[in-house]
Parts: sequence; structure tokens; C-alpha cells
Amino acid sequence: MLSGIDYFIVIAYIVGMLLLGLYFKKFVNSSEDYFLGGKSLPFWAIGMSIVVSDIGALDFVGVSGQAYRYGISVGNFDWVGSVPAMLLAAFIFIPYFWRGGMYTIPEYLGRRYNQKVRTIASVTWIMFFALDLGVLFWASAVLLNVLMGWPIWISIISTAGVVGLYTYFGGITAVIMTDVVQFVIMFIGGFALVFLSLYEVGGWDSMVDKIATMGPEYRNHFDIIQPQDTKSPFPWTGILFGLTFVMANAYMIGNQSIVQRCLTAKNEWHAKASMIFGSALKMFIPILVLFPGLMAVVVHPGLADGDQALPLMIKSILPPGLVGLMFAAFFAGLMSSVDSLLNSTATLFTKDIYEPFIKKGASDKHYLKVGQITTLVLLIIGVATSPISSDFPGIYVAIQTFMSYFQGPIFSILLLGIFWKRTTEWGGLSALVIGIGFAIYLNVFKEQFFTIEDPFLYISWWSFLLGAIINVVVSLLTKKHSEEELQGLVFSSKILVKNKKL
Amino acid sequence: MFNFDWLSGVSQETAKMIFLSLYALIGLLVLLLPNEYIYEGIAKEDRHWWNNLKLWSIAVLSILASIYNHF
Repeated sequence: MLSGIDYFIVIAYIVGMLLLGLYFKKFVNSSEDYFLGGKSLPFWAIGMSIVVSDIGALDFVGVSGQAYRYGISVGNFDWVGSVPAMLLAAFIFIPYFWRGGMYTIPEYLGRRYNQKVRTIASVTWIMFFALDLGVLFWASAVLLNVLMGWPIWISIISTAGVVGLYTYFGGITAVIMTDVVQFVIMFIGGFALVFLSLYEVGGWDSMVDKIATMGPEYRNHFDIIQPQDTKSPFPWTGILFGLTFVMANAYMIGNQSIVQRCLTAKNEWHAKASMIFGSALKMFIPILVLFPGLMAVVVHPGLADGDQALPLMIKSILPPGLVGLMFAAFFAGLMSSVDSLLNSTATLFTKDIYEPFIKKGASDKHYLKVGQITTLVLLIIGVATSPISSDFPGIYVAIQTFMSYFQGPIFSILLLGIFWKRTTEWGGLSALVIGIGFAIYLNVFKEQFFTIEDPFLYISWWSFLLGAIINVVVSLLTKKHSEEELQGLVFSSKILVKNKKL
Repeated sequence: MFNFDWLSGVSQETAKMIFLSLYALIGLLVLLLPNEYIYEGIAKEDRHWWNNLKLWSIAVLSILASIYNHF
């Protein structure tokens, strides 16, 4: 499917990424440089990086497929499912983390609750990130193989080699600055497909008219708010309670790979601005990933598998050259996801596991080296374990789904931890353990409890709610923390006025 | 209960109004933030309307509300 010009564009992109990433090696002289970019990065780079690392090659295909089946309501995930949470993160949580000089979210949980909560949260993230790496490599490589005929092991080795080298040497600065270029490539490739597809279907109004006449199953395709009794996974109740109130906040506030980027900002204004700028860019994502799926309803009606929508649109719409650009956009999605996983996992391991449990009080150069070696080891594990995924076809979806179940309880302890000073270490620990257990229970017996197709939004909400209730009850029954212990860890209106102390 | 059956009487139009009200509430809360807090990190002489994060937030929320109002 690729022509000569397409190969040239893809190879130029890969080589360019490697050279750009390695350029940032000279800025890494300490562990703070490696994990927090020396706290020197501007808001626009961080904002772009937050957005691009959230979109993988698989999301392009998956979201287009969902838009083909369910319509525009899929856009809720990048609109109401991102913007309010990013504003909350920008104005309340990020300033606390940034002023506290923290490296990881579990580090906050450790200071606010206890070391056990920190370790459980960190180990869970490390396990999932490490497992996700191999699965992501394989699933993305299979996708690129199906779409473009690119050999699976060439995808894996080239991505691992390039991303591994620049992440190992350049740390998070290389990750964020290569993300900026990946963002630009992704937007150019994505918008080219959208504009050419719109031309093909005769414009937006023509597309809406054609879909409206295609039958009752397309009646709600342009309703962003779906009724409570819809069979799709996106009823408005799930979008409001599960997505807006829990999952979006958990992702933007409790996800290490997102928050760590904001902590690299050169000052507090840049940290806040990065999230708000990112929220503005986020609103364009549905145009890139959702619109091609909608337009495929007109161009390729009656597909049994919605995930075929995007590949078919690329094959039928894009000319040579732009196919290569779109392929580079897929690669950009894969690379930005892999570099985020590598750097965040290395940070979690070094700061939350190695430093407190394996070697306390070592030199800064030692921790820098540990971070780099962890990056390398993770990469080798990811590549080595990737073929295992071929024996478990549903493993990618299973991991993503399970990670979403972890988010309700973790957000409940973050939220109460920062807003309610009566919350105790035992309250937080109980909420985390019981909340995760409850989410697993609801998932196992979902057919008995839920009527919609995939109830992950509802499961997030109910596990969050139970986590919050457990936290309140257990906290009231156990000994409260002293004012000194809570200094700088609990929200105070003082943060909103002119003093810098928390 | 787990399926929010108790909200089945709420129409799509009312649900849309709930989302729009949420954006209005967030916008109001952002406007209530003190300017000193919004500009924290920028020297006093470099503070201008274009780096006022309240304006950025209101712009983003307005676009979001217009999307939900349209669809």
C-alpha cells in the first residue's frame, strides 16, 4: 500500500525523531533533569505533550470505529471527559504538587496517608505500565501490519530502538519535545484525512442529510447526549457520573504520565497554563479521530466491524505521500505512548520503590543512573514480552479496562485527601483496597448488575462512591492526623490568596 | 439502582441543560479565583490580559458549551 514517497516520509520521520530526541541528552545532568526536565519547560510544549501521549495508534482506529457505530457521542471523552477535569487539575491539584516539589502522585499519597498507600498505588501503576508496554508494542505493530503491510518486528524494533535511545539519554525533556513534533505530524496527517473525506462526502451538511436517511439505527448519531436507556456504552448518566465526575478527573489528576509533565514546568503559571492549553487542544481531537468514522458511514456503509472504518477511509481517500504522513501519524501515536510509559514507570520505580526501600541516601547521580537503567530494562521487557500478546487476543482491552477500574478508588482517596483534613491513613488504605476489590466484583458480575453493553463508566462511578464512603467511615473511626503532619498537603483557601505557603 | 433507572424520566434536553449548567458553574468558580493566584509565577510587570488564565479558561468553556448547545 505504501509508495516510494510514503516510505521516504516515514523513514525521515523516524530518523528525525531519533536525532531530535538525542539532542536533549546534553541537558541531563541530574535526576531532576531526567525526571522533571530541570523544571524548565514551557506550557505550550507540555500542553501538546499531554494531548499527544493520550492518543495512540490504536485509539485512532478504535474511536473511529466507535463513531461509526455510535455516532458523535464518542466525542464526550475528549470534550466533557477532559476539559472540566483539566481545569480542576490546573487550578487546584497541579499547584499543590508543583509547590510541594513532588515527582510522583504516589509520593503525595505517601505524605498524605502513609507509605503503604504510596507503595500499593505505585506498584499497581508500575505493574500495569510494564505489562501495557509489551501489549501496546504488539497490538500497535499488528495494526500497522494490517493497515500498511509493515512487518510486525520492524515496527517493534524501530519504535523500541528510537524511543528507547532518546528516552534513555534525554529523559522527560526528550519525551516532551519529541511529543511536540509528534503532535504536529498527527494533526497534519489527521486533518488531511478529515478535509479530503469531507470533500468526498460533499461537505458536512450533505453527510448529516445522508446519514439521517440511512435508517433508525442512525437516528441518534448526531446527538451528543444519549438517553439513559440507550444500549450504547454512553448514556448521559454514565457520561456525567462515571466519565465527568470520576474517570476524567482520575486520568488528569491521578495519572502519573500526565501529572509528571506539568511538574516539569518552569514556574507555577506555566504548570497551570499547560493544562488549560492542553484542554483547548483536546477539543480538536474528536475532529481527527471521530469525524473519519462518521464519514465512513456514508462512504463505506454497512460495515460489520466498525474498526475497519478508518483503514478503509485511508485506502480510498488519501493520495500517495499523505498515506505516508498518516502512517507517520500512527507511528507518532505509538511512540508518544511508549515514551510516556517508559519515563513514568522509571520515575515511579526510582522514586517510590528504589529510593525508599532499596538504597536510601545515595548520590543524585546514582538515582539518575537507576532511572536510565530502569528505562532500558523496561524496554527490553516490553519487547521480549510483546509476542505473548498474540496468544491472548483480548489482553489489550482487558488491561485498559482493568486500569479504568483502578481509577475510581484512587481518585476518591486523592479527592478526600486534598479536600478533607479528617481523612486518615487507615481510611485511605481501606478505600483503596476495598474500592479496587468492589470494581473487580462489579466487572466479574456485570451481566447481573448492568443493562448497557460495556458498563465501565458505571463501574468507575460506583467504585469511586464506595471508596469515598469507606474512606469517610474508617477515617472517623481512626485517629486523625496532626496539623503538622498535614502541612502543605490539604487544600486551604490560603493557596488562593497571595501567600506562597500552603 | 446501578443503571441510574431513577433518572430515566429526565429527557435528553434536560440532560443537555445539566451539562451546560455545569460549564456555567465551572466558569463562575474560575472567575472567583483571585488574580494574584492566576498570575502566580509571572512578574508583576509582565502580567497582561493575554496571560490571564481566567480568560483562557472561559474561552475553552465557551467553545465547549457551544459544541454541546449545537449537538
